[in-house]
Amino acid sequence: MNDNNSSRRKFLKLGLAAGATALIGAGGKALSAVSGPEAGGKETGEKVKLLSPDGTLVEVDKGHCHSCPATGKEARQGIPNKKMVMVVDLARCRNARKCLEGCQSMHHLPPKIEWIKFFLLRDSKDTSPYWFPKPCFQCNNPPCVKVCPVGATFKRTDGIVLIDNDRCIGCKFCMAACPYSSRVFNWGNPGQDALPEGKKYSPETSWPQKVGTVGKCDFCPDMVRQGKLPSCVTSCPNGVYFYGDKNEDTVTNGTETVRFSELVQQRAAYRYMEELGTEPGVYYLPPVNRLFDYKVGFQELKPEEIDLYKKEANLSE
Amino acid sequence: MEYNNKTIKNYEDFKPQLESIGRYGYFFITAMVMIIAWGTYALYTQLSKGQVVTGMRDYVIWGIYDANFIFFIGISYAGALISGILHLMRVEWRHPILRMAETITVVSTMIGPSYIFLSMGRLERVWHILVYGRIQSPIVWDVFAISTYLIGSFIFLYLACVRDLAFMRDHPVGVAKWRNSIYKFMSAGYRDTPKQRELLNQLIDLISIVIIPLAILVHSVLAWIFGMTLRPGWHSTIFAPYFVLAAIYSGTGVLIIVMFVFRKIYHLEAHITKNHFTYLGILLMILGALYGYFTFSEYLTNWYGSVKWDMEVLYRLFDTSTYWWWFFFSAFIGVLLPIILIAMPRFRSIKTIVFAAMIAVTALWVKRYLIIIPTLETPLLPLHDVRPEFASYSPSWVEWSLTAMGIAIWLLLFFLFSKFLPIIPVVRVNSADERDYFKLRKLAKERILRRMISKTRRDKGPVAGMLILLFLTSALVCRAEDPVHSRLKLEFLNKSGTHLLTAKLTSKKDDQTIPLEGMQVSFFIQGVKDKTLLGKGSTDEAGKATFTLPDKLDVPRNKDGKYLYSASFEGNKEYQSSESSAEIRDVFMKLTFSQKDSAKLINLFAVEINEKGDSVPIEGSTAIFYVPRTFSYLKIGEQPVKGGHADIDFPVTLPGDSVGNLPIIAKFEDNDNYGNSEVSATMAWGKPLPPMVIIKRGLGDTNAPLWMVYTLIVLLSLVWFHFTYAIFTIFRIRHLGKAALQEENASSATK
Repeated sequence: MNDNNSSRRKFLKLGLAAGATALIGAGGKALSAVSGPEAGGKETGEKVKLLSPDGTLVEVDKGHCHSCPATGKEARQGIPNKKMVMVVDLARCRNARKCLEGCQSMHHLPPKIEWIKFFLLRDSKDTSPYWFPKPCFQCNNPPCVKVCPVGATFKRTDGIVLIDNDRCIGCKFCMAACPYSSRVFNWGNPGQDALPEGKKYSPETSWPQKVGTVGKCDFCPDMVRQGKLPSCVTSCPNGVYFYGDKNEDTVTNGTETVRFSELVQQRAAYRYMEELGTEPGVYYLPPVNRLFDYKVGFQELKPEEIDLYKKEANLSE
Repeated sequence: MEYNNKTIKNYEDFKPQLESIGRYGYFFITAMVMIIAWGTYALYTQLSKGQVVTGMRDYVIWGIYDANFIFFIGISYAGALISGILHLMRVEWRHPILRMAETITVVSTMIGPSYIFLSMGRLERVWHILVYGRIQSPIVWDVFAISTYLIGSFIFLYLACVRDLAFMRDHPVGVAKWRNSIYKFMSAGYRDTPKQRELLNQLIDLISIVIIPLAILVHSVLAWIFGMTLRPGWHSTIFAPYFVLAAIYSGTGVLIIVMFVFRKIYHLEAHITKNHFTYLGILLMILGALYGYFTFSEYLTNWYGSVKWDMEVLYRLFDTSTYWWWFFFSAFIGVLLPIILIAMPRFRSIKTIVFAAMIAVTALWVKRYLIIIPTLETPLLPLHDVRPEFASYSPSWVEWSLTAMGIAIWLLLFFLFSKFLPIIPVVRVNSADERDYFKLRKLAKERILRRMISKTRRDKGPVAGMLILLFLTSALVCRAEDPVHSRLKLEFLNKSGTHLLTAKLTSKKDDQTIPLEGMQVSFFIQGVKDKTLLGKGSTDEAGKATFTLPDKLDVPRNKDGKYLYSASFEGNKEYQSSESSAEIRDVFMKLTFSQKDSAKLINLFAVEINEKGDSVPIEGSTAIFYVPRTFSYLKIGEQPVKGGHADIDFPVTLPGDSVGNLPIIAKFEDNDNYGNSEVSATMAWGKPLPPMVIIKRGLGDTNAPLWMVYTLIVLLSLVWFHFTYAIFTIFRIRHLGKAALQEENASSATK
């Protein structure tokens, strides 16, 4: 017990010495997830492996680890003082669907479960169609949360709407209530990798999905806790998704970091179907000065899928 | 206890059906049990494999289970509304049909909610509703409403059976012993003493009054499950009264069919006359007209307004390739045909009325299907990114089997009940008793109830007129063989005086750069002759290995005043070896803040260390300023360093923490001489972040708005007060019965 403690203290000292201010630097990322007992962390006796700045793996008490996905009541509350937002630049999207692949690999989802959907929208017959990737909008007035009979889906202070797959009774009322069809149901066994032994389920990771319950895009709060960007943002080849904390007034697509307010104001951002009063947490930048022709988006699709898109978007050729 | 001749004569008509099941009866029971057994297999399939076995998929998330649910709750209206209203209005011809109506209510209310359970993905978690229930959810309203309604309709049916149960107790001829003991227990010691009679009549009146608004509320809440969503075709203000009306329309239809069936199989022509069919037929006709009016009003408004989504649902309903014929049947045939058949005296016969009722009932089931499916097939966003089988719905064999099972259980329960008690009340309350009880009613202590009863009596006019009034008020209530090339990139980082070496190891796969994780990277420094090993590190998931340089290096600087660092990766079976080096000159940086007039400035002071180890102010290199954010650095400006100094404006509009603390980083980025050298400092000149506001009560929050809680408590306690009173009174009747029996025995002993 004493050995354990001293090794931990050594590590903490090393960590603190390595970067009292390195907390925020790239090399200090793993470090930022750890704080000393003075930071208020509680010892739980449970050990977690973390990479220290000198490149060796160390074991840290779970109570000092802020990167672990929260469970129980903490998962329902949200990350303090954060308000997650997303800005989608429609001018850059070419329906590459890499975000979906990234999402599926990160959430251990089989290809049949899709949490990001792609639409070919056309506002009127005179206008040009454009690709519209759609994650869950994480509404600030979420119709899904209102109707849930058991509180299995809930709105957090950081603006994220999550689903507790251990509580969901599978009534699907939230799916009926969501005007954006963002929710999917696990009709049969999801066929997912099992959770590693000893790891507790957390609504923050949305893993594993369970048969007879609802699933959806979760804005990756577990990644936010580690200071990492969600997979959809990092896997997009065109930098379509900007993600960030509204309370920091900053959004980033991994390569560019811009001020949220300037981006949405200068580019005339809008929220989809604002008139429904759902107050989405996802903003769209209008598809002006586009990087790609919408037809580029048909490259990776099957003929029948192309037909369906063309039919719904009223494209005659 | 004495019964009049009429009562005994009535009983004679029912005796055969109560005493034997009959050949056809056994055949019927066998058939129903076979359907139920098949349904049980279907249920097992669904519970073991999940809802994949149904036709439901994303988009069409609800199917015929939910249509059946609304349908059964709908027909339960027969007993609750019809018998409740007919009873309160003292309609003389009501007696033979009341028990059938009330039995329809109880049996349907038992079958209906089971379809909601079938519609659930996780049946074994039903108890979560009791533990985690949220009052804001219409499903929870439904749980309260339907359970209360079920208990209410049980009480209602039971009260109306007490007299017959007492009669059956007193006439045990030819009936099995166990059945007699049930009759005896259930008759609650009723011996028709004046006090018992008064209490029973009072109770039946009371529950009749409670069951009417309760029934209306149950179907309104059901409609609200759909009405509370933002879906075209569902989000309608008239949905609650529309559902209530459709429900009573189908309820009346089912009652007519049930009357016809029992009249045929039990030969009850003497009890259920053509008049009964005519009266209920006319009621069905009026309800048909009202239902037609509501349908027209709903679709006209949607069509006229022509909102995109409403129109899409309408196109679906009016398109012959989709639902037109179904819609035509439910909205035209199902309304017009019953009206024509019943309104024209020439067509009006028992058979046509029953046919009209069958059309109405079938049309209403189709209507429920048309309420649910076309709307779910019309999402607000186009059906693009959807697998074809997800876009439309057709029920699977499991769903049809379970539907058949529900109907079979319904029929079976009904049949068994008719073998237990006469399907028509044997003991009638004669008009003399009624007059009598009107006098007793004056003694009722509840003024509101009294006022309601007197109102119904005063408007004793046409039954239909009164019903319309009640319906209108309801509207208000309502994935290498050879080693692959690898690439290593060494970077020097100076973080506020702490010197770090980071090496990023990557490889290329399918033209994509992938980070290599868990590889050993060695860090070296060039001495006068040889390289010296500084240390080793393994790469993380981003392919990065980091080494923290000691504060003092025992190696002399080269002639440019630089240190030469290098990193190497030895390679393995999969990846080739690679190395990288960097020449770095040490710098010293310092960040300060200053305020000139109203301008708030960030001041950077930077010096470099030359070959002699002296500090020389930097000249010409560009310093970039950042604010660190959760995921990345937000650039706030850049400035060439002149004479060791660079100043930029403080980003005062950027939000900091609660007091406005904003960390600032000044950096030489990928500089040929300095590598990545940075310094940081924090200043409270940012915009303070307002404290988090946590709303505790609301539709989307854990706790419900107070008015909802109060409304629920008031409604539930009102209804449950009456139920408790009713149960208490039944025990009182039982007690009075014992006393009466003792008195009887005592008097016969003295004789």
